Amino acid sequence: MPLILHQLMPIHWAVAGAGIAAVTLALLFIANRRLGISTGLEDVCSFVLPAPYFARDAVRSARQWRLPFIVGLVLGGFLSAVLGGGFAPTWDLGMFDQVIGFGHPGKLAWMFVGGLFIGFGTRLAGGCTSGHGIFGLSNFEFPSLVSTLSFMAAGVLTTQLVYRVIF
Amino acid sequence: MALFYLVLGVVFGFILSRSGAADYNYIQSMFLFTSFQLYGIIGTAVALTAPGIWLIKRYGRTALGKPISIELKPQHRGNVVGGALFGIGWSMCGMCPGPIFVNIGEGKVYAVAALAGALAGAGLFGAIYTRVQGYFRLPRLAVGTGDG
Repeated sequence: MPLILHQLMPIHWAVAGAGIAAVTLALLFIANRRLGISTGLEDVCSFVLPAPYFARDAVRSARQWRLPFIVGLVLGGFLSAVLGGGFAPTWDLGMFDQVIGFGHPGKLAWMFVGGLFIGFGTRLAGGCTSGHGIFGLSNFEFPSLVSTLSFMAAGVLTTQLVYRVIF
Repeated sequence: MALFYLVLGVVFGFILSRSGAADYNYIQSMFLFTSFQLYGIIGTAVALTAPGIWLIKRYGRTALGKPISIELKPQHRGNVVGGALFGIGWSMCGMCPGPIFVNIGEGKVYAVAALAGALAGAGLFGAIYTRVQGYFRLPRLAVGTGDG
């Protein structure tokens, strides 16, 4: 199955997994940082929101690495698009367009609501796929196992409900 | 060091972009059990990262000679409930937090709405933290819910 991005074929899962492991281990071995991306959402919030939650030590001390890393993620995606056939803004959403449809405003609303769940959920759980799923599981942390099982199960239920029941 | 983190982010973002981890169809196929790709990626990453972390902790120091210290994530009721809410969002958007940024870089317009929602959701959580703290048995604010 090709990617939505320029209909490219994806790299092999073993290569991608090894690359992710290499980045995770480089962060730890060189910079003593544990991989985690969703806390970066707090870094951004902390610039504009005064709540004490955004002023705690864990946010302040990690800003110096998370913000450049997040900028890197955007650049990595941009580079991937440029090298893979050129950068062009797109609304393509694969299965969503074929099965659910809506239009541009509906798609934006759907994404915003999904984003709310992501932002609130990852902060409540204390991590996302990277911090709990990759690093936490690899470090044998029990809360990460619980969180990972929980978000995988909810993802399966939601997608099954959306694509096998509702639409 | 900022440049080091930027470069690691670029590499990570490129991998997410080209592997299917930031692709809506691949995320749905994972949750529909019709593609092995994402299970293979996460499984390989964990299978290689686990012994790596073990070795680094055994060595005890970073490449620059500083002691290794890993902040552990606290355990509380939020792990289950927050995880479930995040799973719903991951399915709806076809993106977890990293791929939101990657998709914006790729030029996917709707990913900007996902980012706006994610920031609003994180902001909402921060605003009501002290009100839900007791119920979810979240740690005191010096610690937060942990990195990640």
